[in-house]
Amino acid sequence: MTTEELATLKADKTVDARGTSCPGPLLAAKKAIGEIDKGQVMEVLSADEGTRRDIPKWCNKKGFEYLGTVEESGYFKIFLRK
Amino acid sequence: MANKKLTIALFSGSVDKLTAAGVILGGAAAEDMDVEIFVLLQAAFAFKKENAMTNDRVAEITDKKDDFLASLKRLEAPHWTEAFRTAKEMTNVKIHICGFAGKVWNGYKLDDFIDLADDICGIGEYMTAAEEADINLFI
Repeated sequence: MTTEELATLKADKTVDARGTSCPGPLLAAKKAIGEIDKGQVMEVLSADEGTRRDIPKWCNKKGFEYLGTVEESGYFKIFLRK
Repeated sequence: MANKKLTIALFSGSVDKLTAAGVILGGAAAEDMDVEIFVLLQAAFAFKKENAMTNDRVAEITDKKDDFLASLKRLEAPHWTEAFRTAKEMTNVKIHICGFAGKVWNGYKLDDFIDLADDICGIGEYMTAAEEADINLFI
């Protein structure tokens, strides 16, 4: 997805993991993914640089669709579809 | 597809290495790996009930221990026991205390160790598990 598309994308679930360091955001994503249905979109907010690389890899392994990352001031919004 | 398997020979009883083990466990939990941890010599000290929360030894860069421990607090990093507990809640993690290691630290019964420990076992069990593992680590 393009940055413009991501900017207007409405997530079905938001996981705010900005207060945690690696592997906190990944674990928060893992916990939350069980709470949405297949096809729904989740955004993970993380201030951890490693997470923006981990989530795409994790999606790939778990069969989720990584949609892209938007860089905000001091954190990342990482989008994926279950 | 069967879950991937991770075995860890956990020798260290130092919070720096135990914290690293906790981070790796988090990664394994995110990926639904099956994990078996074998608590060997010095790690058995850290797993004793009376030591788990009070032990603040570090194995490396020991002259910066205070900075290291302060940083863990600043980053709100979970205590290693908490990281281990979270991983246990999220994926299949079994923690075995090496019988010999237990005795070294006067731990003879499972009850002498924190409740993260599942059983006391011999080294044969580790060899069997490590043989079958996709990843095997010594920490």
